[in-house]
Amino acid sequence: MNTLRAAWLVALKDLQLEMRTKEILTSTGLFAFLVVTLGSLAFYTDPVSSPNVAPGVLWISILFCGILLIGRSWALERENDAVYGLLLAPIPRPSIYIGKTVSALILLFAIELLLVPLCLIFFQIEASGIWLPLLALVFLGSLGFVSTASLFSAVGIRTRARDLMLSVLVFPLVAPALLASAVATRELFAGASMTELIGWLRILTAFDLLFVGFGVWISRHLLSET
Amino acid sequence: MKLDFEEVSVAGLAKSYGPTLALAGVDLRFEAGEATVIRGSNGSGKSTLLWLLAMLAHPTRGEIRYGRYGVSRADELRGRIGFVAHQLQLYPGLSGHENLVLAAKLQNIPYAQKRATDLCEALSLDEYWERPVRTYSRGQAQRVSIARALLHQPRLLLMDEPATGLDIKSTASFIELVEQQKRDGAIILIVTHEAQFAGAVADRVLHMDRGRIAEPHP
Repeated sequence: MNTLRAAWLVALKDLQLEMRTKEILTSTGLFAFLVVTLGSLAFYTDPVSSPNVAPGVLWISILFCGILLIGRSWALERENDAVYGLLLAPIPRPSIYIGKTVSALILLFAIELLLVPLCLIFFQIEASGIWLPLLALVFLGSLGFVSTASLFSAVGIRTRARDLMLSVLVFPLVAPALLASAVATRELFAGASMTELIGWLRILTAFDLLFVGFGVWISRHLLSET
Repeated sequence: MKLDFEEVSVAGLAKSYGPTLALAGVDLRFEAGEATVIRGSNGSGKSTLLWLLAMLAHPTRGEIRYGRYGVSRADELRGRIGFVAHQLQLYPGLSGHENLVLAAKLQNIPYAQKRATDLCEALSLDEYWERPVRTYSRGQAQRVSIARALLHQPRLLLMDEPATGLDIKSTASFIELVEQQKRDGAIILIVTHEAQFAGAVADRVLHMDRGRIAEPHP
């Protein structure tokens, strides 16, 4: 079976499980709502300071929601040792990593569809004209983060300190992508045009290609023996 | 094209987990149409042997051959191996039928939905197949796990304590199923502590002790 078809089956299974329980969307969605609400209340903002504070609150929410979401997604694989059902199938090992990354990205993007408008409303950011670049930034930043976190979660299948490892190792690794995303979002909120953001988008794309490529390559070895 | 093999052999097979030697150099050969039961005390290396044969772990040393194929053809060989593990390896949030359909699709079985449905009916799973696996009794989940191992008509069937949780009627059906697999030419390895069950299905009984084959029984 080809890698992409197998990956799609793995992703579809995750989405099917989530649609049934809505466990991940509910818990991380509520968490995201809480962080944005608290952030907007805790920082006294005006039209001048809002564009500086909002990107931080937005990306902190995305980061913590992502960690929660990916941790839960891989916990489903550990329940009943279900992941071995996938490992017994005659599918290329990277398809498991790709499938888990795709499903986590779709779920995180669903949460971001709630999170981003909330953030714009609570911080009184003018939304017209920034939707497209904002979606591009959120997508590229999330892809880099999810691909890295999924990789470490795959390693964590056989590690007892998986949660610690996910938090301690993933944050420093994704720091370049998160910093680029946060700074680019701040510039966008401050009125930068798409042309001015191209440099940041290139950095994020390069980071994503590097980590997705590395993840696909290394997952062949990481998932060959668990 | 599916790989085919008539025998499985292991030579000098050893596996260590850190300082613990789980398998200490085993030489064995299993043939088509034969059911081998492996017995032994806890920690004697029985399950490790099955995990190595299922290619879910790498041996520390030694070699496994599936007919003329080695583990370099792992991705294709997995399509010829069925494994019933002690942990059931099913998604608790999916129903038994959904677990089987997923496995059938991953095995690239044509008409996956129909194959899963047929097998559910054949193994009398259809009374509860739409409920999530987390609501099943151990015996019910075990039957789904057995069904999943048989979905793709495996050449090598590995089973770790497959009779766990099965009632008398299900055990009898399972024994008949093993006989059918033998007639179809499958190579069968069963790890079990249940002497009566072992006696009913075994063509050969091996005893393991501290990672080695202790004594062959005729």
